[in-house]
Amino acid sequence: MIKLNEEEKESNRENDFIVQFKDVTKIYSGTVALHKINIEVKRGEVHGIIGKNGAGKTTLVGIMSGIIDPTEGEIIIKGKKYRSISRQRAKKEGISIIPQESQVIPDLSVVENIFTPDYIRSWGNFINWKKMYSKIEKVIDESQININPYTRAGDLSISEQQLLLVLKACFIDNAQVIIFDEVSSSLTKKDEEVLYRIIREQKKKGKAILFISHSMEEILEICDLVTILRDGKVIAKEECACLDKDKLSYFIVGGEYNYKEHKVGEESGREEEKESNEIVLSVRNFTKFGAFQNINFDLKKGEVVGLAGLRGSGRTELFKAIAGIDLADKGWIKIGNEEKRFTDPAQALQNGIVYLPEDREKEGLIDILAVRENLTLSSLPCLLNKVKLINLEEEKKMATTLVERLSILTPSIEEEVKKLSGGNKQKVLMGKVLSANPIVYLLDEPTKGIDISTKKEILKIIKEELSRFAGIIMSSPGLEDLILICDRILVLHKGEIVGEFFEDKFKEIDLYRAVQGVRDKFVENN
Amino acid sequence: MERRTKVELFLLDNLIWLILAGYFLINALVTPRFFTYNNIINIFYHSTILGMLVLGQGLVLMTGHLDLSIESTLAFAPGIAILLTTKWVPGLNPIIAIILTLLIGALVGLFNGYCITRIGINAFLQTLSMLIILRGLVLYLIPLAIYGLDETYIFFGRARTFGNIPVAVFLMLGIFVLFDFVLKRTPFGRYLLATGGNARASYISGINTNKSIISAFVLAGLLASVAGLLAAGRQNAVNNTMGDGMVLLSFAGAILGGVSVSGGKGTSIGMLGGTLFLGMISNSLTLLGVNVFIVYALQGLLIFVALVLDRVKVKAEELLFRREMLKKLGISMKKD
Repeated sequence: MIKLNEEEKESNRENDFIVQFKDVTKIYSGTVALHKINIEVKRGEVHGIIGKNGAGKTTLVGIMSGIIDPTEGEIIIKGKKYRSISRQRAKKEGISIIPQESQVIPDLSVVENIFTPDYIRSWGNFINWKKMYSKIEKVIDESQININPYTRAGDLSISEQQLLLVLKACFIDNAQVIIFDEVSSSLTKKDEEVLYRIIREQKKKGKAILFISHSMEEILEICDLVTILRDGKVIAKEECACLDKDKLSYFIVGGEYNYKEHKVGEESGREEEKESNEIVLSVRNFTKFGAFQNINFDLKKGEVVGLAGLRGSGRTELFKAIAGIDLADKGWIKIGNEEKRFTDPAQALQNGIVYLPEDREKEGLIDILAVRENLTLSSLPCLLNKVKLINLEEEKKMATTLVERLSILTPSIEEEVKKLSGGNKQKVLMGKVLSANPIVYLLDEPTKGIDISTKKEILKIIKEELSRFAGIIMSSPGLEDLILICDRILVLHKGEIVGEFFEDKFKEIDLYRAVQGVRDKFVENN
Repeated sequence: MERRTKVELFLLDNLIWLILAGYFLINALVTPRFFTYNNIINIFYHSTILGMLVLGQGLVLMTGHLDLSIESTLAFAPGIAILLTTKWVPGLNPIIAIILTLLIGALVGLFNGYCITRIGINAFLQTLSMLIILRGLVLYLIPLAIYGLDETYIFFGRARTFGNIPVAVFLMLGIFVLFDFVLKRTPFGRYLLATGGNARASYISGINTNKSIISAFVLAGLLASVAGLLAAGRQNAVNNTMGDGMVLLSFAGAILGGVSVSGGKGTSIGMLGGTLFLGMISNSLTLLGVNVFIVYALQGLLIFVALVLDRVKVKAEELLFRREMLKKLGISMKKD
């Protein structure tokens, strides 16, 4: 490359960068989500952002699209400096975001969805349908996407709905900066190709593209440049051409963290229990079409098994199928001496399987009931006296014990759950499944959305309290929690178990690659 | 928690009894002939029919649904039972008529509950259609009224025991106490509230939520038929407009009694308070010589007041808790 003198370079910069972050910091009540981030988005460039869960990707996107206000730093859009930008400002400056989960209006047609709310108008304020139809047909021709513009948007597949939003952002809104927020996680393989093609075309048109993803493969395929985030900081900014998966995963995961020192709950007394080889749950050929296939594993008493996988890898679906909430299509599970498939959570509970849902508010707690009532909800049958009435004394005792054991911070056991903080709500949920006294715990992201100290407490509860008499399967948005407390980790990728790691072989980088679906790691390592 | 906050919360929870007591005192001083033994008995007696409807409505509201059809069931259940035992199959034992009345009420509720949970019909529309169907049938089958019922059949609605207190009053109080017990002490009651609070979470926790909802509708139908039995007994007749318009008052009573319209909250004793309050208002206004239609309008106004009260209560509670929190923070800050 010809070396430009400094001045020329500088002026070039000002023109090329559409959006620039300078020392942007975001602090959420005590935790630092982003720390002095510097990022530039340039015309005609696809800029990738990758990082683990909690690295700060979502916050970054939120700030750029005007949803989140940064705590510090400035945002420079086309040379103008801002402290923070509003949603309207972002739109005016041509920043468009395609969100992770598609947000179409199901009852409107594709055309209506695409033009809402900026319909083409004429004759004063009347919607000009003719013009809109001709425009949409032109756009569909140009993009070569196979979508019928006159169908209901709700009738499209999730993947097509997502493409619809891509169309809207790229061709109709005429955005200068397009942010793709983990868009491809809901796309089919074929639509992924379409997406890549559209991105390349947009790039040629000189648009700036920010591509957020958790898949290394994708980043390397489509991006020119990638910024790696870890713990809210920019770890590296690299040209994709000189990166490979090894290097990238090294950047993402960072140096091998010394998990041994931070291991939770390796106190005495656990060893002997561990020796019990009693299998409490076997899963065989478990299949739910479109979610997971041929799942086989055994769970022993006292064992904590991690279920690692990306969003959409089928973790939640698997849990729900085992617990009888959503039904599986094939295969069976064996608990006790019977082979069966549950069709109802009550059945699963009677057989000793309890599920802790990922969505605490919607599926976990009944927030207008008291802490006591929530804690004992799944275990009322054990609290009845001879005439089948609830023994209120026993119930109070049980609730009080649980509150103390899990150190739930609440003014009293009669407090409504909705008045507790997130971490304490999670502990109540934990207490609820604990009180059911099952032999298998299915914990779906038990550490989601809680602060670090509570997280440690909860992990400790899992390791020390729950695993005493039962087997545990748990998932987590990040790998760290699993590495900290699991005896074994199963890796789920696209609905299949692609790897099994034992405690002595936990290496975050290997796990990370397995979760990403990199199967040939042994070959590559050699 | 501080003692003062506790007391305030207790009063908020039992707001209706506070209002009731206040209203009673004012009337005792102002309204002529109000504070007499007979009038007080009268208030209770006149609340019995509405009380059954309020309780039934409240149970359904607790599960997060609503039942408009109870006022038609009130006429339909005794109507059909009486027709069966006197016209269609003459000479049947009046005890069978009573049992039939209750059975028909329960069946109407079962049908409602089944359609709502299994077929997935919206509760409002399902019970609205039932409201019209049953009233239509009653109007067709009983052109005006059937007078002169059997002694046994009218016992619960008409008989009086010691102190000249009607049996119906004891029956109502007994049922309210029974349901207070059911809601507080049985898993069934707990599951009812849980289902209304969050149906999905309840299902995942292993509760048969459909059963809870169906049971609530069955109980609502059953209680409506009890109300019908009392109404028929009081008039010594079954007429085709019995219960007309009462469903709106049943909402008023339940909401005044502290039942949450969105489900998951409510007590039987609270609903009793709501019922007595409604009864006392119409009684006192009648004694004061207020026009009947104005009384009706005022009862409508009460529904509105009840809804506002419900919101105010939530806000007041939040304020109390915030005050509590601030105090706590203040104390802990001083320690630091």
